[in-house]
Amino acid sequence: MLTIHILKKISFVAGLAFLAACNLTNDVTIDLPDYNRQPVVECYLEPGKPFRLLLSQSYSFFDPFGLDSTFLQKTLLDNAVVTISYNGQTDTLRNQLAFDFSPVKIYNYVGANIVPATPGVAYQLNITLPNNGGNITANTTMLPLVRIDSVPVDFSTDPRYDTLARTLMYITDDQSQPNYYRRLLNIGSLDSVPDQDFIVADRISLTSTIAFGTGYEFTVGDTVFNTIFHIQKDYYDYVESYQLAVAGNLNPFSQPSPIKSNVSGSGNPLGIFTCLVYDRDTTIIER
Amino acid sequence: MKKLLILLFISFAALLQAQKSAIVSGVLRDAQNGETLIGATVQAVGLDRGNVSNEYGFYSLSLPSGNDSITLRFSYIGYETIIAKIKPNGATKLNLSLNQIGSQIQEVIIQANALEEKVKSTEMSVTTISTREIKAVPALFGETDIIKILQLKPGFTPGSEGTTGLFVRGGNSDQNLIVLDEAVVYNPNHLFGFFSTFNSDAVKDLKVYKGGFPAQYGGRLSSVIDVRMKEGNSKKYTASGGIGLISSRLTVEGPIKKDESSFIVSGRRTYVDLITRQVNKSNEGKEDYVKIPDYYFYDLNTKVNFKLTEKDRLYLSGYFGRDVFNFKDQTFNFRFDWGNATGTARWNHVFGPRLFSNTTFTYSDYRYKIQNILQGFSFNLSSNVKDANTKVDFFFQPDNRHSVRFGANITYHDFITARLKAGSDDGQIKFEAGRTYNGAEYGAYIADEWTLTPRIKVNYGLRFSAWQNNPAFYANLEPRIASNFSISDRWSLKASYSRMNQYVHLLASSGLSLPTDIWYPTTEGIKPEISDQVAIGTSFLLGDQVLITWEAWYKWLQNQVDFKDGAELFGNDELENELTIGRGFAYSPLELEIEKKAGKLTGWIGYTLAWVKRGKFSDINGGAYFPPRFDTRHNFSIVGTYEFNKRWQVTATWVYSSGYVNWLPVGRYSVQDVPGAPFQTVIPVYGNRNTYRYPAYMRGDLGVVWKWKKKHSEHDLTLSVYNVTDRRNPYFIYIQPEFETTAVGDVPVSIQAKQVSLFPVLPSLTWNFKF
Repeated sequence: MLTIHILKKISFVAGLAFLAACNLTNDVTIDLPDYNRQPVVECYLEPGKPFRLLLSQSYSFFDPFGLDSTFLQKTLLDNAVVTISYNGQTDTLRNQLAFDFSPVKIYNYVGANIVPATPGVAYQLNITLPNNGGNITANTTMLPLVRIDSVPVDFSTDPRYDTLARTLMYITDDQSQPNYYRRLLNIGSLDSVPDQDFIVADRISLTSTIAFGTGYEFTVGDTVFNTIFHIQKDYYDYVESYQLAVAGNLNPFSQPSPIKSNVSGSGNPLGIFTCLVYDRDTTIIER
Repeated sequence: MKKLLILLFISFAALLQAQKSAIVSGVLRDAQNGETLIGATVQAVGLDRGNVSNEYGFYSLSLPSGNDSITLRFSYIGYETIIAKIKPNGATKLNLSLNQIGSQIQEVIIQANALEEKVKSTEMSVTTISTREIKAVPALFGETDIIKILQLKPGFTPGSEGTTGLFVRGGNSDQNLIVLDEAVVYNPNHLFGFFSTFNSDAVKDLKVYKGGFPAQYGGRLSSVIDVRMKEGNSKKYTASGGIGLISSRLTVEGPIKKDESSFIVSGRRTYVDLITRQVNKSNEGKEDYVKIPDYYFYDLNTKVNFKLTEKDRLYLSGYFGRDVFNFKDQTFNFRFDWGNATGTARWNHVFGPRLFSNTTFTYSDYRYKIQNILQGFSFNLSSNVKDANTKVDFFFQPDNRHSVRFGANITYHDFITARLKAGSDDGQIKFEAGRTYNGAEYGAYIADEWTLTPRIKVNYGLRFSAWQNNPAFYANLEPRIASNFSISDRWSLKASYSRMNQYVHLLASSGLSLPTDIWYPTTEGIKPEISDQVAIGTSFLLGDQVLITWEAWYKWLQNQVDFKDGAELFGNDELENELTIGRGFAYSPLELEIEKKAGKLTGWIGYTLAWVKRGKFSDINGGAYFPPRFDTRHNFSIVGTYEFNKRWQVTATWVYSSGYVNWLPVGRYSVQDVPGAPFQTVIPVYGNRNTYRYPAYMRGDLGVVWKWKKKHSEHDLTLSVYNVTDRRNPYFIYIQPEFETTAVGDVPVSIQAKQVSLFPVLPSLTWNFKF
């Protein structure tokens, strides 16, 4: 995936170079085929946090955003019955709005219990849609946390760039089984657009140590957030598919992909139900 | 199939028993530079017998024995006709050199003869491009390009605006067998397809088969693009070249030994990188300045030929080309290069007037390599396909009713698919992926051009092909037949059928050509691709100069290979798991070409009405058929060159085609994502493939050539104006939200489709010279 990340950059840079050189973009009106709205599930089970889920609906591509008082009503799918079963117990999530403020997140179904951190626990999601809309189901399993071993900082030895530093994040991979990771690198704040955001499978690694690096781009005083998510294969596929869907729309060299969701059931649902285990390091660059 | 084999056996046995007759044979050459002439016509006046020189300039014509002398007419477009009288007794050897033409009146007469031969030929679905056409047609940035001229011919669909992608009669771009001096060129593109690898200064002849494939060709489903390099001037030393907007060319050629051996060296290089380096240098240190990456391409063609004996000639030729993309700053130390190398060694031997052979050894290599090296770490990604091929072809003329061709070849393929090597210098971190494959491809064929009656000719043949990639082994028979019924000297009906097999497959992740597309072999899981094509048509000669050709065709495609939706390509050792197999078909009731090749006004009008579909892929569109991107319904082109006098010439082209189909999203949703990842307002949701058709494409180009001569040199100044009407044609369309700044930040308010066009009106000036 690191490779794809780089290749995408190459092809996209090449494309953009042409387009920028020519500056030949104009608005057009197009007709797209009819589209039936689909339920969208987004649920990350984060150890230590309550069970929370966002159930919404997709839109036809050209539907207006309509960010007025009716927006949430039009977007969120309320009045569903949402349950999550694990360890022989079933939690029913209440249909109520809840927020995280940093980073900002919104949920419309919230449980009373906290997600346990125990690896290997299987979770089953069941959603009964309102108005006899049918059921949506999904499964996931809590993965063990993969810790960040170290995040060394080193400065460039090139005299032209010797005020610039890079970070290297090391993790230890369990080579006895396939593992999948999502890597995020934020600078300054976790609300910033990540400088790096890609997924990677450990099948290409011949060593148990895996490193994620940056270029020499930081100066003294910069705050760098290195995050490693240990993810399930179906979440890996989901992220890859929506990244390809985004790239396919914007980049003529990229092939689009349908969304590979791990939720199934009525209304051809989209989305993801997965556990979220991650380790994060915050480093302030110092010489 | 058994009946066909029996028929073939009986036919060949019959022709071996054929009556012996007198025969004249030899090699036809250009009198000025000694180049062999491919496809020159030899006619026995009053006897309704004729033949054409083969791709090595060799001709052979059987004649009735007797004491009466027979007049032979040797003609070739652009050359003065030679009339020769011979007494047909036994074998006569007649090597001739034709002079380039002096007047247009002569040219018209010669053209009429050549077009009559074309009408009578069994060949159909064939396109030829002359060097004159290559030079005359206006080009993007003034870079003349044979592939882009082909795109103006009926039956060919370009990849996208300005690129050299070529989709022939509903086939994929990897289904074109592109050979340069008989060596396969795996990637015919420079700069992501905006230029082809063929330097037109080094090209002597181009012949393209869209259907009715002769039995000597195999290995691809949809076309054969046979490019022959010049051999070099065997009479005198010359230097020619050109200086254009983005590149310069230089060709040097001359005799090694006059009239016996010669050489040619031709090179070109772009120089935009020289300018961008200066721009980068002058902006060095500016905080917000983003460096422009270095990019250039170059290629080098070389060829030598030696006359070994009166009956033997040796040709050695080679091509080497590279694209290089460099970027170096504090974050990247990046190099991306890709290109082809080919080599050909060819030995022509004349056994006698009835039997000629050509033995060829070719080598092809296409590779790309991506490198990024940073302090302590390196990253390498590469792919490579290599071929070593040996083949032998025999041309046998038992009598005046049969021309037999037979031969065999074996090709060894070596593949490295997306090899990844990355890690730290100390070896503590190591990533590796990619696999190697090899395979052997075998071919053997026999074909006979049989003149049944003066009005009926049939070219029938059979090709055997096989593929071995342990433990996979496939063997296939590929029948070929093409026939001509001449209603008159000016009007004929034609029909053909051919089956083709393809054993190597290009895995392309998007509709656009990328150098990182991977060549992949046939394996146990990936079966050979197969096509069957039938075509019917008619050729009609209107007056002396205008040839009208209509063809209708239908093509069936089996075992088509595509990536599954969302396939993971790189760093994947099991690429085969990402592939899905399906079928396809394409048809056209109307593929029309009206050509005028001589006179003050020359050119052609082409129109194709066609439908193309792919389907039955279990992992795409639920198995339903869908149109591939290049399914353009109507393709219309007009190319006209008017020569005012020997100094001034104007060429205009106009093309219209229905829009490409594309896969656009139909829905959208939002993802708030995990902590640290931003809220994503628009995730596109894609429905069925390729349901949206882009607006139609239309473009007019203009070229003006001003020629002048000096005592020891010839010059021309060529002005090319690409997209003369400055029309905004769609390159691609994307859809994105438009934001409004509010007190709480930027909020999306609407969704807007944007059309991106690549090229506005683009004038360019090129100076060409010859000393």
